[in-house]
Amino acid sequence: MAHIELKAVTKLFGQTKALNDVSLTIADGQFFVLLGETGAGKTTTLRLIAGLEKPSQGQILIDGQDVTRWGAAERDVALVLQQYSLYPRYTVRQNLEFPLKSPIRALPAAQIAERIARVSKTLRIEHLLDRKTDRLSGGEMQRVSIGRAIVRTPKVFLMDEPLSALDAKLREALRAELKDLQMNLGETFLFVTHDQVEAMSMGDMIGVLNKGVLVQTGTPHEIYTNPVNTFVARAVGTPAMNLLPGRWDGQAALAEGVALAHPGAAQAEGRALIYGVRPEDLHLESGGPLPVRVSDVENHGVEKILTLRLGAQMLRATVPVTVHVAVDDAVRMGWNPGRVVLFDAGSGRSLRHGG
Amino acid sequence: MTQIELRNINKHFGDFHVINNVNLTVADREFVVFLGQSGCGKTTTLRAIAGLETIDNGEILIGGQAVQDTKPEARDIAFVFQSFALYPHLTVFENMAFPLRAVGTTKTEIDKTVRRVADVLQIGGLLGRRPSALSGGDLQRVAIGRALVRNPKAMLMDEPIGSLDAKLREEMRVELKRLHVEQGSTTIYVTHDQIEAMALADRIVVMHAGVLQQVGTPEAVYANPANLFVAQFVGSPVMNVADVVVSGRGGGAEVTLSGAGEGFAFPAALIDRLQAAGAQGKPLSLGIRPEALEIALTPTEGFVTAEAHIIEPLGSHDIIDLRMGPGFIRARTKSGLVPGPGTQVYVRADPARAHFFDTGSGQSLGIAL
Repeated sequence: MAHIELKAVTKLFGQTKALNDVSLTIADGQFFVLLGETGAGKTTTLRLIAGLEKPSQGQILIDGQDVTRWGAAERDVALVLQQYSLYPRYTVRQNLEFPLKSPIRALPAAQIAERIARVSKTLRIEHLLDRKTDRLSGGEMQRVSIGRAIVRTPKVFLMDEPLSALDAKLREALRAELKDLQMNLGETFLFVTHDQVEAMSMGDMIGVLNKGVLVQTGTPHEIYTNPVNTFVARAVGTPAMNLLPGRWDGQAALAEGVALAHPGAAQAEGRALIYGVRPEDLHLESGGPLPVRVSDVENHGVEKILTLRLGAQMLRATVPVTVHVAVDDAVRMGWNPGRVVLFDAGSGRSLRHGG
Repeated sequence: MTQIELRNINKHFGDFHVINNVNLTVADREFVVFLGQSGCGKTTTLRAIAGLETIDNGEILIGGQAVQDTKPEARDIAFVFQSFALYPHLTVFENMAFPLRAVGTTKTEIDKTVRRVADVLQIGGLLGRRPSALSGGDLQRVAIGRALVRNPKAMLMDEPIGSLDAKLREEMRVELKRLHVEQGSTTIYVTHDQIEAMALADRIVVMHAGVLQQVGTPEAVYANPANLFVAQFVGSPVMNVADVVVSGRGGGAEVTLSGAGEGFAFPAALIDRLQAAGAQGKPLSLGIRPEALEIALTPTEGFVTAEAHIIEPLGSHDIIDLRMGPGFIRARTKSGLVPGPGTQVYVRADPARAHFFDTGSGQSLGIAL
């Protein structure tokens, strides 16, 4: 159990600012996900908390104690990586025992056996205990890696893309398992990923990183419905949020000559805006305000994804499978004005966030 | 007219039967996707059509001509791989012109063709660049362009966008389809990604262990999977599959998950249909997609009690793990419908979207209610 705090942390690698003035609080028992593309600084953040890197500026606190200068071993954190790093010639049981037999802990045999029994039950790997790790599937190996982290009962779990080497079905299953595990253990998890579905589905809180800057922190719902800028708007959700460039004409935002209704406050006339609407908030409506031409129809079974041409712009809409339209059809679309987000065209910042 | 036909083809790697008696006809201008896990034989089949692998027996016909003993270059087929394989020292233009120069096309003809194809692929502005100065998506466009300039009889693509990131894959998917609509060449596309298959295919061919499991439109494969493998391979989250017992209740039928107290209400016709399908007394599995489960927050007639466990809020919708008896079943709901873990909810399985399988053979019983 631990509470983690980063205060104005900056990390330089030579001239490169890997992290730029990042302040972040992870509450005790929270499942916190850092979401970002390659090079955004997510792994650096994780390594700083683990003590594998030292910040150039700023402080790191675990349970209120300043650990900025502490070594990795003193911090009592467990790290699970994308690569499993298990001992190949050892059995699963020997791999799990390993951290407990180390001279620092040197637990009595009875206690080791008890902990391994408990952990292997939680992770459903009891039947694998006497198998060599090179005889395991990818999903089983990742469970054993997590098991090896859990047996130590560390204060904090740090996970760096632990699911990304697995295939889609297994990822889906392990996602739910990891969330379940965290809920049962009640421990603090920091999970790093580039996959927005993982972030949305598992996180109590999500922090979105872009080029070393923490752009927004919020619950999945906040991040999805109230993104701080166009970067966050496009970082979560598939297909991505539609972003239509438009202009305020005194009454409504105009894009491609169409007046787009939304509940936002009046703006300075002529102000350049970006009108953000999610694909699931666009729907077919006879006499609707958006005249579009169907450019592509993807049937995904559970829903259809339409690609629509509005003047020079392309829009995506998700509609029920029962909707029948064909490529090149001219149709009209409506939307839910309450779900629209307006962004300043210059800064990309949401007007609700002072853009 | 380029129809591709596979007749009883077989291939072994040692003892491993990698292609097991495959029969398939791909129509002229059709876009067919081979879908399966790694090792299922989809790439080997594609390579056999291209002439890069031999087959043990059977016939491969391209445009009505048997080609199984013909060299790859004589088959006039273009191949696009996952790795881009461009010449790093040549410009985009020269990379695309390469296959035309090899067959001695005139300079003006080359210029015209390369520019036309580049425009279609929206890389007209990149023709002077070297591959090292291009993004992943543009590299793949060039690789596709190089395959298209020859105006081949057919296009074979092996996970061409598998190495791109998620957003780019989504964009390229739409482009590939548009390109196919415009160019209209007969295309066979291999992938392990069911989303790509659903999005691109006129027809999907699901392969497993060298055997064709099902061939059909995306709609048909999704709505009427032939067996448990197809049912659980296509669709995300995966279709729920559970062992069930079917019994009569009142004037209707009840489908009970093994170990659960209450069962789902079904029309009485189910019992007759099961009987007609010869499924009486055999172990049965119910398959139900997450979106075919209806959730109510208050007790409702015909709904079964369950407890919400994990909730995955995906923004556009939620995926909820429901505890039912000893197991779990996943449902798809509107965002925020169920407030949190531990909530008691009431569930109904839509009989019109329920699937019944023979647990032993895994085959669908083809029951439509």
